[in-house]
Amino acid sequence: MGPSHVTVDSLTVDFGGLTALGDVSLSIEAGEFFTLVGPSGCGKTTLLRSIAGLETPTTGGIRVAGEDVTGEPPEERNVGMVFQSYALFPHMSVRENVAYGLQFHEIAQADGERVDELLDLVDMAGLADREPAQLSGGQQQRVSLARALAPKPDVLLLDEPLSALDAKLRKRLRVRIKSIQQELGITTVYVTHDQSEALAISDRVAVMHDGSVEQIATPEAVYREPESQFVAEFVGDNNVFSGVVSDGRLDVGGATLPLPAESDHADGESLALAVRPEALSIEGDGPEDEEGSPTDCTELRATVETVEFLGDAYRVHCAWEGHAVVVKTESTEPPEGEAVLRFDADETRTF
Amino acid sequence: MLARGDRVVPAGVVATVATLVVVFYYPVGSVLVSAISAGGRLTVAPLVSVLGDPFYTGAAHSLVAAPTTVPNGIVRWAASGFPSVGFGLFGFTAYQALLSTAASVVVGLPGAYLLARFDFAGRRFVRSVTILPFVLPSIMVAVGFLAMFGASGVLNDLLAVVGVGPVRLTFTLEIIVLAHAFYNAPLVTRLVTAAWESVDAHRVETARTLGASPRRAFRDVTLPQLLPALLTAAVLTFVFTFMSFPIVLALGGLQLATVEVWLFAQVQNLDLTEAATLGAIETALSLGLIYVYLRYETTQLQARSGGRGLDRTPLVDGWRSLVDPKRLGLLAYGGVVAVLFVGPLASLVVESVTTPEGQLTLEYYGFLLAQQSSAASGTVQPLPAIRNSLLFGAGALLLALPMGVVVSVVATRESRGSRVAEALLTAPLAVSGIVLGLGMLRTLVFGTEVFGHRLLVTGPVAIVAAHAVAAYPFVSRNLTPALGSIDDRLADAARLLGADRATVLTDIELPLVVPAFVAGAAFAFAISIGEFDSTVLLAEGVDSATMPVALERYIGNRSLGPDLGPATAMGTVLLAVTTVSFVVIDRVGGRWE
Repeated sequence: MGPSHVTVDSLTVDFGGLTALGDVSLSIEAGEFFTLVGPSGCGKTTLLRSIAGLETPTTGGIRVAGEDVTGEPPEERNVGMVFQSYALFPHMSVRENVAYGLQFHEIAQADGERVDELLDLVDMAGLADREPAQLSGGQQQRVSLARALAPKPDVLLLDEPLSALDAKLRKRLRVRIKSIQQELGITTVYVTHDQSEALAISDRVAVMHDGSVEQIATPEAVYREPESQFVAEFVGDNNVFSGVVSDGRLDVGGATLPLPAESDHADGESLALAVRPEALSIEGDGPEDEEGSPTDCTELRATVETVEFLGDAYRVHCAWEGHAVVVKTESTEPPEGEAVLRFDADETRTF
Repeated sequence: MLARGDRVVPAGVVATVATLVVVFYYPVGSVLVSAISAGGRLTVAPLVSVLGDPFYTGAAHSLVAAPTTVPNGIVRWAASGFPSVGFGLFGFTAYQALLSTAASVVVGLPGAYLLARFDFAGRRFVRSVTILPFVLPSIMVAVGFLAMFGASGVLNDLLAVVGVGPVRLTFTLEIIVLAHAFYNAPLVTRLVTAAWESVDAHRVETARTLGASPRRAFRDVTLPQLLPALLTAAVLTFVFTFMSFPIVLALGGLQLATVEVWLFAQVQNLDLTEAATLGAIETALSLGLIYVYLRYETTQLQARSGGRGLDRTPLVDGWRSLVDPKRLGLLAYGGVVAVLFVGPLASLVVESVTTPEGQLTLEYYGFLLAQQSSAASGTVQPLPAIRNSLLFGAGALLLALPMGVVVSVVATRESRGSRVAEALLTAPLAVSGIVLGLGMLRTLVFGTEVFGHRLLVTGPVAIVAAHAVAAYPFVSRNLTPALGSIDDRLADAARLLGADRATVLTDIELPLVVPAFVAGAAFAFAISIGEFDSTVLLAEGVDSATMPVALERYIGNRSLGPDLGPATAMGTVLLAVTTVSFVVIDRVGGRWE
């Protein structure tokens, strides 16, 4: 772990009796691309706005670049922010927008030169004299990014910067944001409700739920080793079976499922078991295999209900013992009717 | 909420509230208090003497004067076959207000239908000028109506050409109601048009796909959204016409006096106690009505849907489309509206340059110049009146602009601010200029003891203050929506880039609302130029007379000159000055951008 650049310490934000953020602590390294992800109302935007100084914390503190900024107004914090609505000043040209923050900051560069540099960085040099109203959404987003970066902020805050754009542009721009972030090495806090976006571009992800942080980890760890049922269900797809432990297996009502080998649960304990769709394999219900199935695999006899074609794979929706089960398979032709689902109990997670 | 570092807004709030207390709440309060006190003691005697007087309340007077006789009285009234009864001055005032409201709705409603559902050349222009009658000097409009409908007016001239005898409309209820419709029908049109345009077409279409006929969809989806707007317009019209003063004074005189005109007469007879009691009752009635209405409105608030507005069909789409009776009706309506709205103003100008015999003349303007050069004291001179109007207008602007900005900032920034601001802005509308003028006379002009110092505000200063009170709501009503529509993120973004709160206001927010600010200033100036009610009470002698006051003197004093001529000439000058100031402010404002 590198040195902490942004530190949030036991932060609580109340809005008239409603707790938007409850006792959140986290620490973001210098140069890190850190993403706050969660459903709407989880507190991710409140946390970002608190770092910016746009919300006043009820208790707790915030440090940026080694300095306690908790009581500081936003203009004293040297943080750059990009809003979902871009918030370009409509009465100023692209160039004036990007230059606006420079009058309040001392940087070792002439203002005009700095503006040109930033406009080049976001490929907007040719449109410097346009008014914001003449720009497309993607262009406005890039100007907004250049404006936030121009005064060389200590940290860059991005509040759902892509959610107003269409899906294709969104994917292209998130790669561009990531590469600019790496090129500048700037500490970045990114807010999104889109978990696939969070996984795609982050160094680390904080999954938030109901005003608190559920898990902070790399995208891989959040996906593969979710620490709570909420994370398991929010990040990626998952089949979650709830039941009661009985004789070392999980009784899900009418049927039982095996538990991971190293798990140690007492009988009668309520438990949820999560199996990723891609951890399941699917096969048509042919004649019984004479040799029997491999001993380390669990077999479920299910009925195929709907098949989605995804281009590079299929998502197969099945019914097993009254439970909906989703399987993702790359096989060229998913079965219809009766099918056999197999999975390795050690690839499941329990909560 | 944010911890705001700046002190500018709180200081402005304190200054605005202090100004309003001194020049509005305290004077008006003193009028209200005098209705329930005598010699420093609380008493209902003044109220009883007015409400128990058959002259004021007619058949209802015994409710106050002799309540025990009421049951018998009703029995006797029923026994004699329900003969018609009068309700005195208050009854007549309410009656004419009711007629005026009905006329305004009848004239205004088709306009809303036309503007909301049809497209035609000049639609946007017509839609935006519906605000104008509201700021035209009412005494000038009254002269316009006299010039059009008077004994030797344009209408009778035209009738004479086709050989129809002259019609007498002056000093009739009809001409008052018509003039009130001139003022308030555009209000009905404006409010209902806005509501109609906010109807979500998708909701209407949903009703249609669910099986509703166009008529049914209108009744079930559109109408419920129009009714609150129509009711708003009707209540406001009733309050305005209940308190209407110059129109009734000029077109009805004392024969058709309303409470407001009688109140003015009492002040002129120096019967200030009776006047104050009348003013208190009138103010209580209009404030009560507006309060009840605001309570109702909060229950009617509908979430504005973000959907698409209703489509407008072209009004004229080739000659064939005109065979439609609906379109013919609307075109006829357009003709009536043109006569009602353009007629009086055009007649004003025409009559100012023609003799009763129809010859062109500059005699009336010559009269104004002669009046100017005559050294006779006691008469209002035209040029000082113009100068006073412009000076007072500028002074009122200086006071009204900061007040309006402060109220708008409070309304858009603070969570409870919009309700407080709404109350602040509505109160001056519900208090007539005469009551305000009377209150100022009793308190500021005659002097008030404050901590041993005698506070004395006289003549021009009092007039400017009264004009500012009448004008600042217009600044605010223009500015608040503009400020409110600025994305909060713009201010956030500017602060994160290093701007402090005051810099955000000057760099970002104010530049974005310049057009609304200028529009507000134009309205405020026009309100000041046209203000008559309180000015006529506060203008001492002839030195601080303004154009509207001068105009009234010229109508009132026929001995000054031949017929209505000088008044129409002065009215034309007032129209020109009002128009020019409006255009100038608009142009200057355009350059600020």
